[in-house]
Amino acid sequence: MSIFEYNGSAVVAMVGKNCFAIASDRRLGVQLQTIATDFQRISKIHDRVFIALSGLATDVQTLYQRLVFRHKLYQLREERDMKPETFASLVSAILYEKRFGPYLCQPVIAGLGEDDKPFICTMDSIGAKELAKDFVVSGTASESLYGACEAMYKPDMEAEELFETISQALLSSVDRDCLSGWGGHVYVVTPTEIKERILKGRMD
Amino acid sequence: FPLSCPTIKVHISRRLTPSPFGRPSKNQRRGDQRSKAVPSSQKMSRRYDSRTTIFSPEGRLYQVEYAMEAIGNAGSAIGILSKDGVVLIGEKKVTSKLLQTSTSSEKMYKIDDHVACAVAGIMSDANILINTARVQAQRYTFMYQEPMPVEQLVQSLCDTKQGYTQFGGLRPFGVSFLFAGWDKNHGFQLYMSDPSGNYGGWKAAAVGANNQAAQSILKQDYKDDATREEAVELALKVLSKTMDSTSLTSEKLELAEVFLTPSGSVKYHVHSPDSLTKLLVKHGVTQPAAESS
Repeated sequence: MSIFEYNGSAVVAMVGKNCFAIASDRRLGVQLQTIATDFQRISKIHDRVFIALSGLATDVQTLYQRLVFRHKLYQLREERDMKPETFASLVSAILYEKRFGPYLCQPVIAGLGEDDKPFICTMDSIGAKELAKDFVVSGTASESLYGACEAMYKPDMEAEELFETISQALLSSVDRDCLSGWGGHVYVVTPTEIKERILKGRMD
Repeated sequence: FPLSCPTIKVHISRRLTPSPFGRPSKNQRRGDQRSKAVPSSQKMSRRYDSRTTIFSPEGRLYQVEYAMEAIGNAGSAIGILSKDGVVLIGEKKVTSKLLQTSTSSEKMYKIDDHVACAVAGIMSDANILINTARVQAQRYTFMYQEPMPVEQLVQSLCDTKQGYTQFGGLRPFGVSFLFAGWDKNHGFQLYMSDPSGNYGGWKAAAVGANNQAAQSILKQDYKDDATREEAVELALKVLSKTMDSTSLTSEKLELAEVFLTPSGSVKYHVHSPDSLTKLLVKHGVTQPAAESS
């Protein structure tokens, strides 16, 4: 079993009309044993940028803490929040710093940029950015997620429809992956509000 | 090179060669600052002026004291602790119509979400120290996943300042700070620190120009159980009495408060010029300072 599959994870982000949704599963496992069913993979950087990290859980937590460090200093010095594109470049640079001993996680970044335009991207564990216009996926369930998203996604969905789509895509994909699941955690972010919802899925 | 050579000889030889930059000498290797060329008619203590790393015969560190002189000429800042917050007020020395007033301020800086500071002295030195403080606060948060206690932050910054009075041969920072913050162990706190690296916790403190006058007025008028509004009023009154300028307007001041929001998080709020003008009118301190003693 690869080290990326040690803890199990599923993360997906989708673009809607002036909004975005980011979702993850909630299982934390040690190979086949489930340790926790409320593991936090999605973290808020500021009100308009979220990052979800899949992969080895310890690196998920440490990388997030390092990003908070850098973002807080940025905020103090520039007296403003980081744009999602800038944040993605920061994550990519931090990951590449460890090119020969990398953080074993794959981030998914989602945010609202200038003029409330949604932005999503993913990258591999050494910082290769991949921008997408529709959806990005990461984690042990990524192959199923690609299929589910491709089938269910359509452009310019409103917040409620986007929530339904991303939730269905997440739950159906994690059901096919033994290492991820135990429900879902979905954030739907519009320029005016952040809606956080917990999904109940198959508890296996 | 002869290690037994007494240092005094080296100083005398420098005085005879009046080049302002001195000769590159053996002392360079120790990284000491070159002494300035001084005429032999100056008093003996001048010999000990130029090096931060030695005491004078009277047991003083002259460079540190000269740094404090520099601050005594800078715009003043006052901090007052109240039971529901800390108030920081600063006098802006640079007021020109041509100055581009963006969001950044001259006297008040946020160090972390729960700590802010007011500055008096050389601004460029202050910027370095503020950056250092910000990084120290974030390092602590990264390590312990909680906000750095205010006293520890002040102590850590003062340790940095102290280093410049003991080794390296670099001059001290010409800045005094007033730190205002909140942590869950000790609630609201106010600290004052100076170029020597000394710091103390205060109920009310003043730094910069006329700080002794301000400190004595604060000693008389400070009340332990004041609210934040009363502290703001006291700060404005004290500053209006001690400021040198002939009129007090919101362009010459900066006012910031550190307090807890109803939800329990710490907020650092800098007043806008309009809000400041309203406060000045409310507390009756917009009159020219000429009429107050």
